[in-house]
Amino acid sequence: MAETTHNTGLLSVRLVTPQRVVVDTTAEAVELPSMSGYLETLYGASPLLAELGAGEVRLHGGASGNEKFFVAWGFAEVLPERVTILAEQAMRPSEINVEQAKADLLQGEKDWANAGDEAQAYDDANAEIRVAEEKIASAEGKVAH
Amino acid sequence: MASVLDLRRRIRSVKNTRQITKAMKMVSAAKLRRAQEAALQARPYAQMITSVLESLQRRADIYDHNTGEALHPLLVQREEKNVLVVVVAGDKGFAGAFNSNIVRAASTFVRERETRGQNVDVEPVGRKAKDAFRRLYPRAVYERKTEKYDNDLSEHHEIIRHRAHKVELTGEHELMLARLDFNTVHAMVRDIVARFERAEIDSVYVVFNEFKSVIAQRVVVEKLLPIAKLGAPEITAAEEMSVEQKEAAGHAALSAGVSTLEPEETSIEREAKKFGTADVDYIFDQSPARIFKHLMPKYIETQILHAMLESAAAEHAARMTAMDNATSNAGDMIDALSLTMNRARQAAITKELIEIVSGAAAL
Repeated sequence: MAETTHNTGLLSVRLVTPQRVVVDTTAEAVELPSMSGYLETLYGASPLLAELGAGEVRLHGGASGNEKFFVAWGFAEVLPERVTILAEQAMRPSEINVEQAKADLLQGEKDWANAGDEAQAYDDANAEIRVAEEKIASAEGKVAH
Repeated sequence: MASVLDLRRRIRSVKNTRQITKAMKMVSAAKLRRAQEAALQARPYAQMITSVLESLQRRADIYDHNTGEALHPLLVQREEKNVLVVVVAGDKGFAGAFNSNIVRAASTFVRERETRGQNVDVEPVGRKAKDAFRRLYPRAVYERKTEKYDNDLSEHHEIIRHRAHKVELTGEHELMLARLDFNTVHAMVRDIVARFERAEIDSVYVVFNEFKSVIAQRVVVEKLLPIAKLGAPEITAAEEMSVEQKEAAGHAALSAGVSTLEPEETSIEREAKKFGTADVDYIFDQSPARIFKHLMPKYIETQILHAMLESAAAEHAARMTAMDNATSNAGDMIDALSLTMNRARQAAITKELIEIVSGAAAL
């Protein structure tokens, strides 16, 4: 985490999926799994729009009390006092079905092997593998970044 | 005239039916509340996707400066030769005219497009829609063609559609409405978008029952693709509720304790409208064009999800109203039968009295 001297306030954080608002809280810092790597934002950050890949959203401090969420495929808006995250999938690590994720990983590897020359099939298989791997890592508390 | 015993049996049977319809009404009311809640919960995401796309539209070059042509495949306007219509109806019956209204609106649409000389693909969602159209139209035939090149080292796949009839069925989706899962919607929309992108279809419409509240519903035909204006769905046909239907629905809702008011906009929704639209220079982690490109299919997904969530709520509301009607009809029937039974009993007593009296007079 960055020095707390810059933390003049709390970020209001909202995580939304197509089906519901998963969490609506405040935090001192938010880590986001952007397509190009993890980002961390604090209060007062410059406005930013980023596409999200698969990984963990981590909230530090504030009312959130260091919560973690697994998210996949989405989009985030960072404003100086607010972070809004749209994600196709979002769940707490404890809610992840690891057995299912392992099965998805095997399926993804099989799809990858069978993709032939189709670019789309490769992309799909890679996406499937990435989500499954991140899910397993998140459930086991071992997300690398 | 039926005997007292027969009538008593019939009354008992109608009373049992009334018990069942009343229970079904209460169950539908509970499911309706849940469906309404689900539709409400889905609003912020849909609103945010729309807001950010609207805002990106101004920042990304989505039209060619010289030719004015749309650069995103989902915005391309082509002459409508092949039209896809997604028909969202229910999986179960006992919902009054709910399913038949939707099927009728869809059939009108198909006929009208046929007379314009267009080919129509029908994609029913829900068992009732599937059953209605499967009997009428044949399934579409696809061929997956593989071409080898580079001395057979590489392959190229192509999906070819063999269109043999004016109207064909391109897919069926049943039992996806009861427990609506975003992944199934995602898969369905991806398939539709792929067909639109390879110009197999030139436009996409969805027929569904729009649901604002129990007494504010209508069956609409909405144009999904190509997108004319973000955030402003293009309704091409709509059938409003009649006054009698509104009264019946209002009565059912009142007796089941369901609100007839439209849910109010929450603070989250109000803020959702501002998502991605702040009057500042955003830093784009990816280029606006790329973000725009990736968000467009998600926009279509939220539109379809919205149609399905509203349709699910409308189906429960329709079943609740139908069962409320059935319950009050059963009540009327019990009253009528009780009257007949009392008359029959009285007639029997009178007859016996007459027999006694005339017997005594004959002595």
